[in-house]
Amino acid sequence: MSEHQIVGKPLPRVDAREKVTGQAIYGADFRLPGMLVGRFLGSAYAHAEIRRIDTSRAEALPGVYAVVTAADLPRGEHYDAGSRAHAVFAGDRALFVGQPVAAVAAEDLATAQEALRLIEIEYNPLPAVLDPVQAMDPSSPVIQHEGPADRSEMDVHTQQAADVKTLEDNENDNVVNKVDFEQGDVARGFAEADVIVEHTYRVPMVHQGYVEPHSQTALWDSSGRVTIWISTQGIFDVRERLAETLGLSASQIRVISTEIGGGFGGKMALFAPLVAVLARKAKRPVQLVLSRHEELQASNPAPLSVVHLKTGVKRDGTITAIQGKAVVDTGAYSGAPMTVICIMLGQAYKCANVRIEGYEVLTNKPSVTAYRAPGGPNAAFSIESQVDEMARAIGMDPLEFRLRNAAEEGTMQPHGRAHRRIGLKETLAALRPAWEDAKRWKQEPGDQWRGIGVACGGWEGGRGPGVAFMVLDEDGMFRLVCGVVDLTGSHTSLAQIAAEALGVSPARVRVVKSDTDTGPWAPMSAGSQTTYGMGPAVQEAAADARRQLLRYAAAYLKTRAGKLTLADDQIYVTDKPEKHVTLKKMYDLANGWSARFKPILGRGTAPRRQPAPSFAACVAAVEVDPETGKASIRRLVAAQDVGQAINPLSVEGQIQGGTVQSVGIALWEELAFDEQGTVRNPNLLDYRKATAADLPFIQTVLVNVPAGDGAYGAKIVGEPSIVPPVGAVANAVADAIGARVYDLPIMPERVWRALAARG
Amino acid sequence: MMVNGQPVTVETEPNRTLLEVLREDLGLTGSKEGCGTGDCGACTVHLNGRPVTSCLVLAPEADGCEIVTIEGLAQSGQLHPVQQAFIQYGGLQCGICTPGFVMAATALLRDNPNPTEHEVREAIAGNLCRCTGYDKIVRAILAASDVAER
Repeated sequence: MSEHQIVGKPLPRVDAREKVTGQAIYGADFRLPGMLVGRFLGSAYAHAEIRRIDTSRAEALPGVYAVVTAADLPRGEHYDAGSRAHAVFAGDRALFVGQPVAAVAAEDLATAQEALRLIEIEYNPLPAVLDPVQAMDPSSPVIQHEGPADRSEMDVHTQQAADVKTLEDNENDNVVNKVDFEQGDVARGFAEADVIVEHTYRVPMVHQGYVEPHSQTALWDSSGRVTIWISTQGIFDVRERLAETLGLSASQIRVISTEIGGGFGGKMALFAPLVAVLARKAKRPVQLVLSRHEELQASNPAPLSVVHLKTGVKRDGTITAIQGKAVVDTGAYSGAPMTVICIMLGQAYKCANVRIEGYEVLTNKPSVTAYRAPGGPNAAFSIESQVDEMARAIGMDPLEFRLRNAAEEGTMQPHGRAHRRIGLKETLAALRPAWEDAKRWKQEPGDQWRGIGVACGGWEGGRGPGVAFMVLDEDGMFRLVCGVVDLTGSHTSLAQIAAEALGVSPARVRVVKSDTDTGPWAPMSAGSQTTYGMGPAVQEAAADARRQLLRYAAAYLKTRAGKLTLADDQIYVTDKPEKHVTLKKMYDLANGWSARFKPILGRGTAPRRQPAPSFAACVAAVEVDPETGKASIRRLVAAQDVGQAINPLSVEGQIQGGTVQSVGIALWEELAFDEQGTVRNPNLLDYRKATAADLPFIQTVLVNVPAGDGAYGAKIVGEPSIVPPVGAVANAVADAIGARVYDLPIMPERVWRALAARG
Repeated sequence: MMVNGQPVTVETEPNRTLLEVLREDLGLTGSKEGCGTGDCGACTVHLNGRPVTSCLVLAPEADGCEIVTIEGLAQSGQLHPVQQAFIQYGGLQCGICTPGFVMAATALLRDNPNPTEHEVREAIAGNLCRCTGYDKIVRAILAASDVAER
């Protein structure tokens, strides 16, 4: 394998300076003259008829420029009552506490808040259903919408599956989607087993936890065109959403992304239509920034899951049967990663007999969306706890048990697709030293209970397509233009790929983010695939620009392109460096009124990549205080099959971030809904996110199992790291206390209850 | 008050916060609102040399005080060693929490020029980051303490 000059180097982020100096403009930093403050009024009830809305007193308040409700948004031909996206405002019914019922645009925050207080809403509260298992009971209140449920998540994951049985939708209950995956015969599998393990695992709704709330500003011009500046992961997704909900064509909409302060799957277009409607009615620019309370009560969290697993194992370590039932709570609108959860329950291990049923269930809570490997932590907590119990039951080391049963190329998955080339075994094996080390640590004396745990899991990820272009500027710098939002440092990696393909140092490449008007289409920055999917397009654009440049330079220098070297600021004849032309001169030769050649424009378009799923594994060491039940993390080692890391500094950072989010799901995080559907902890004191004082340094182990067709051997990166650690931490706590907690998060109280149950 | 070395006079309602005044009246948007309740640290500024969550400081409380925000840290275009270290060690990803961390870290290093890992973690426990897992932030601050010492 050739040694690359730039790809593979831990270069600092290209946008770092503006971020450390506070110069970067995030959604709420954006300003327009005459901009108004937008705020919305959320439903007071989890389930209620909205009988009457009287906005007259609010409209009359001085300083109020617009008050809007569902009446201001006529339903177009594409209106889908089952879609959260189209429910910009609650219509006849409110379906979760905090669902926007009305909104105002006013001169300042205080006036806007006062205006909201003046809006009168007559509700007729209806019985609400909050628990998904109860919601499946026919006697529960039904939240069904008119129209078909959103099956897009399910369709994406089963489109290539062979043996999928999808069950009929019954509109008289809250179950909006079902799947049933079957391989082999679980009855036979259980008959063969020496030990059968059966448990139910519960993961609550959690928030993606981005530090920057949803923020967006809209401005209409006199021709009926709207521009929106928005903190989003996908500008073209926002454009599409606005077109659907406002009845516009794409060409009437311009979407510009501001710098994004975290997304993790939770920031697409959720509040874009609302701010656009406000700005249209106010006839002035309007900025809507959610409060933290609104984020935690009423945005789009990750799903609650109740997973029942019954598995069989032989004394020799063979897993003979995996039977699962996953009930996935999607909140008030469908779109949960139920199918993914079902696939992942049997994805990491070889097992001849698998039967997994999944149910996506509506409840009166804010509907869910993606959160970094959506469904992954839900599945991993369940199956990785179960795998540990099987290993213990037959007295086998948990890491060896996993290695013995690990899926590999050709292993069948629950939905009927065989694995392609994957690096699960290699990634698990890479943790052997850390695991042995952890065992030694556990033997050291301490006044708290020590426990260690291991877990694994993978993620398929997205795969493009990608498009980019490259131009030469008059200072000899190369400008890479693409529309992707830099969520994770991808601009830096793409600049490295471009520099490598050009043959110049990375400082000569400048990445410019275009918007929906000024640049080509861009994929959403999600699915772990920004660098993976865009890399080849960037490579092609850079190679194309280089080819043109060398062709013109060859003509100018009267030689052949093959005899030239492109360096940082000039092109010279390789064997005769004194014969050269500067890049600035090449710019002049290609541009301007007396140009001899054509302007240089490098063009790159790449189709979707081959799938390059990535597996991760984690070793966790914890100490549990015997007096309080509090679990503390002492060690975290995270391994991931990343292919070739384009920028190791960035890749390590991604892995560390995902690992900590997963630990948070294991130990601290929960959106705690009460019986009225109100979140009891809608603030960052009570919704407990990890702090620096809760964690040790996080060791990362980068594994490279070549697969897929990314630029320079890159694979998907961003999501896999959030999958295993929740399982590793749960296993470590179980190891420490000799009992298991089946409901997350593992709060001290739950440790105490598990100990009390054990006796 | 003095803001980043410049005398500033602002007339405002008494119930506005220092954060609102900095961001809206003075255009200093480097300090961020992540929660509005003093729990995330994204609004951290120095008030008379001490790191404070400016979302919990009423504007009138800042009367007669010296305020330093993230924008005032770099001197004549030269980045502070903490800022340099964050860049070099990958102590930021999305960057929304970064100003708050830099302000907390610079205050720490002024009081404790050679902190241990534990002391760094305690000092920045009031700043929430969702992207990094804190690993490279802590390493950056420890590295900056070495530089600042020299």
